[in-house]
Amino acid sequence: MTPFPLPLAEIFLPIGINLVFLMVGFAFGYVLEISGFANSPLLAAQFYFKNLTVLKVMFTGIIVAMVLIFAASAVGLLDYNLIYVNPTYLWPGIIGGFIMGIGFIVGGY
Amino acid sequence: MTTTVQPPKKDPALKQFFFHREKKEHVNAYLGGALLGVVLFLSFFITGNGLGASGGLNRFLVFFEDLVAPQHVNLTPYLLAMAGGSKNPLDSWIVFVTVGVVIGGFFSGWLHGRIRPETGKGPNISNRKRWLMAFIGGGFMGYGARLARGCTSGQALSGGAVLSVGSWAFMFAVFGGAYALAYFVRKLWN
Repeated sequence: MTPFPLPLAEIFLPIGINLVFLMVGFAFGYVLEISGFANSPLLAAQFYFKNLTVLKVMFTGIIVAMVLIFAASAVGLLDYNLIYVNPTYLWPGIIGGFIMGIGFIVGGY
Repeated sequence: MTTTVQPPKKDPALKQFFFHREKKEHVNAYLGGALLGVVLFLSFFITGNGLGASGGLNRFLVFFEDLVAPQHVNLTPYLLAMAGGSKNPLDSWIVFVTVGVVIGGFFSGWLHGRIRPETGKGPNISNRKRWLMAFIGGGFMGYGARLARGCTSGQALSGGAVLSVGSWAFMFAVFGGAYALAYFVRKLWN
């Protein structure tokens, strides 16, 4: 019996669940801001190899989260089957991603 | 701020505390990344969901779409799932995450003295053109994010951390698209 992810609907009233997600968002916004992700010239700079902060932050974040998720699953704390794994739609992902990349360098965010 | 540093302006303490905070630098990239990873992990660990951004914004859009054109919403399966009948498109976890992101980002910006009106841009472009480009780029991003079922947060970051194949393909496509076009729009940023 794995304790996580928490069965939010059994523990909290709807408003409590919303508050949990609000706090998750708050933490996300906070770490993005302290890393400089609110600064569009910094975000664009990675595409000219001038400042790779954004790449470093992103891939460090992915790797740290990945290691923690799989470690927590391995020791039986987290049920991997209950977490949301994006289903693969290869071509929509690739074409949509390419279009987003164009928007990223043109728009800066 | 502290007793040892002479404040640059002669504001009353409270006004200085709220409106003239000392500007701090961003944190080290690897520290920021590690903290981001911990937040992303905790999101999965506690709620079972990753992080997201475009999904929440999308639902705000659908909310207004439902106000102006409920008929259209009721005839489009994609929109119907979010806003059909008595369903409120804002009644979703990702909307709360998105609102939290705005509050958290604003709080951090305030805490570290980085809040001011400005147009972030390269040195060789006018504010007007920068804003126009931001809207055009935003249009591309919105379209691409819906086509790919997620954005840099929901697909690349969250899907990447749980090793979704589609998310990794998406991530390389995003960087591929941006790096491929970067040379041609270099005047925007350099």
